[in-house]
Amino acid sequence: MSSEWQLEAEAPIGRGVTAKRFRLHNGLGLIAALDRRAPILALQTWFRVGSRHERPGATGMAHLFEHLMFGQTEQLPPGEFDRLVERTGGESNAATWVDWTYYKLSLPARDLALGVRLESERMQHLVLEHDRVESERDVVTNERRERVEDDVDGWLDEQLMAHAFTEHPYRWPTIGWMEDIRALALPEIRAFYRTWYAPNNATIVCVGDFDERELRDLIAQHYGHIPPAQLPPASAAVEPEQQRERIVRAPKPIATDRLLIGYKAPGQDEPDWAVLEIVATLLAGCPSARLHRKLVIEQEAASSVDAQLTPFRDPSLMRLAVTTARGHDADEVIASIDREIARLVEDPPTAAEVEKAKALAETDLWSSLSDVDGKAEALGHYETALGDFRRLDTLVQHLTAVTAADVARAVRTYLVSTRRTIVIAEPEEGDDEADDDDEKVA
Amino acid sequence: MQVVVEASPDTPLVWFDIAIRGGASADPVGIEGLHRHAALLARRGAGTRVRAVLDETLDGLGAALEVGVSRDSLSISGLALSRHADAVIALAADILAAPRFDEDEHARLLRETPQVLDEIRDDDGALATRWFDWLCSPGHPYGRTSLGTEGSLAKIRREDAIALWRREVVADNLVIGLAGDVDDARARSLAQRLVERLPAGAAIAQPEDTGERARGRRAFLVDKPDRTQAQLRIGHLATRYGHPDTPAIAVAEAILGGMFSSRLMQEIRVKRGWSYGAGCALRRSRLPHWFEVWTAAAIEVAGPAVALTLELYADYAANGPTEEEVDFARSYLIGAMPFHVATARQRMQLAVRDAVFELPAGYTAKLPEALGQLAAADVRAACARHFHPDDAVTVAVTTAETARAALEAANAGPITVVRHDEY
Repeated sequence: MSSEWQLEAEAPIGRGVTAKRFRLHNGLGLIAALDRRAPILALQTWFRVGSRHERPGATGMAHLFEHLMFGQTEQLPPGEFDRLVERTGGESNAATWVDWTYYKLSLPARDLALGVRLESERMQHLVLEHDRVESERDVVTNERRERVEDDVDGWLDEQLMAHAFTEHPYRWPTIGWMEDIRALALPEIRAFYRTWYAPNNATIVCVGDFDERELRDLIAQHYGHIPPAQLPPASAAVEPEQQRERIVRAPKPIATDRLLIGYKAPGQDEPDWAVLEIVATLLAGCPSARLHRKLVIEQEAASSVDAQLTPFRDPSLMRLAVTTARGHDADEVIASIDREIARLVEDPPTAAEVEKAKALAETDLWSSLSDVDGKAEALGHYETALGDFRRLDTLVQHLTAVTAADVARAVRTYLVSTRRTIVIAEPEEGDDEADDDDEKVA
Repeated sequence: MQVVVEASPDTPLVWFDIAIRGGASADPVGIEGLHRHAALLARRGAGTRVRAVLDETLDGLGAALEVGVSRDSLSISGLALSRHADAVIALAADILAAPRFDEDEHARLLRETPQVLDEIRDDDGALATRWFDWLCSPGHPYGRTSLGTEGSLAKIRREDAIALWRREVVADNLVIGLAGDVDDARARSLAQRLVERLPAGAAIAQPEDTGERARGRRAFLVDKPDRTQAQLRIGHLATRYGHPDTPAIAVAEAILGGMFSSRLMQEIRVKRGWSYGAGCALRRSRLPHWFEVWTAAAIEVAGPAVALTLELYADYAANGPTEEEVDFARSYLIGAMPFHVATARQRMQLAVRDAVFELPAGYTAKLPEALGQLAAADVRAACARHFHPDDAVTVAVTTAETARAALEAANAGPITVVRHDEY
């Protein structure tokens, strides 16, 4: 059965480990990477479906499947999936984001066949019935309460995406709006499953201690008969150029102002994404970073500052998150951020500063690939979000090539106020009634 | 000095963990937060390098060097590209042997730490844990906050931090672990460089278990406005990790709340949809510590969730698990061990932790052998010995106006309402 596979690509993933991508006749992808340091496996199934594939009014659908997929199938009664995995000592989990959903099994090496059987079963034969959906709907609403309604950082994140994007599906939260989660209808849930959970929309990633031929045979045996689905065309939504700064403020039961700033940034596949990675590190990615030194140490205007680029396929955001210190406020911090960004153009980083950021990126990269789960997640993300796991190597090449002049150019291009959205959570005052109705948008 | 080495050339990185015995539980009464303060201050300048120079040097090497505090130890954890490991170790050695304890950094840190308290007050889960730690077993060394309070922070003097460092940072009080792209001989040479400038001195005397388990159920409602949920912590002082019953307790906690198939997860999440999750664990420490159940329930079912949790816990303590449950959990725990020791870094960290807990070498890694010999009766006996539902403390971070009446009906004991920002 191994002959049914076509080898498409091969590249190193970490020291002494090579990843190979194979394709089955029905479109199913397989990325296999042998890493025999421990008798374990990371077996992950990545689907090219995330919150960007939902429609307004039915947000949260992709994430709901992250829950439903652990339920009953035609062969497995409720709860059996988890019991079979846990009896081995393994664990199962899943994650959903804008561009993908993936299902993760960590298994003893001897249980490869079990893992393949379970994953193929739930890709084909999930039972979607009323009681199970309602139970998971309640769980998801509680997850949303914990992560958004009662969590100021979750609220900031959600509001940033909702206001930074006006047309692109990145504007709604992956967990979904509460009213949408409550309204998702069973027929549409079933249709979503039939549409997206198909071999030609999936890549299986296996990293660890296994026999490659046995792996390919098992997967061909369990997936080879599944027909490909007719996948909907990719969304044509293009986010229009942002022309002016957007600011959102709302009171929350917190001690000091918290703010989240999102600057429009390129997608992860663009060369400038790597340049902005370096910019993020120079601004707030390490103890000696410029913004950290200015805001936290010198001015003591913030208790923390963090910078991150969101690794999205389409144009995304470079985010600055700040918690202000007692006696300081968001406006003061924003003014300081603007001065530091301007200084990054007027007083560009030295070559040594850029090399520092590259050294930190190198450490981060190796650290992220230091175990089988990390390797599998990197392979799955780049394959699913960007179409080829070898994009990881492309990113490394882009990072290596970044110069101080690139940094100054990227700052001038991307870190401008007209391209940014700012969300501010402010402490509630006194006994005034305050809720989301008090939100102000400028 | 104890040294643990786990060599593995598969990634060009070296990790090191330095544990200094005597963590937050050894803070003087009334000066809670001193150990944390001393460790953070030591990281802010050493030898000839002031904070900014030290940060710049470490970042330039692509390295990370972080300090932390647990109940039982201070920690200095490093990560370096293997080609820079010698340079990063030299900087860590400076921090150990020659921290500057600059006056301006001491004053700045005293201004910063209360803001960490603010961040905890903004985070319901962290807030619930902070209150639970304080209220679970008053007087116990682990009940004192590692971060400090506004009152205790005001009493921290620079001289106290310096004295603590001189007293506790001595070679025989350290456990050093190195892992990654470094062979055994080089690793031991690096460990020696970490301690070669330290004064001689014995391991410090650590706090003893003076805490009596508080008797009777008690409930504390930590009142915070605008909540849609209640963050819940329920538990009591139990035993120590390393007690002869540890394997049996590991099985018991897995069955009650350590797996997705566990009783708490099934009853609270799967059957009722009341929470995103529910679990339990005995906190791992050198001394007896809390057995704790946690969940976060929608505010309208917070009372029933507390009542159900206490019922489940009482039934479990009285009757223990079934044979089938024990068989299943044993299989899970034995099968899971390879995931906990898969990388050199994991093996090193477990070994360092065992040493800090004063356990025999390889204690945790060898637990599967003991698990394989356990009978269901052993687990039931351990439940009866160590689980005390009638003495459970319940902490709920939620909005009192909405949740109080239902919590009063939950049979959790007399309720005390406190403001979320008063501790």
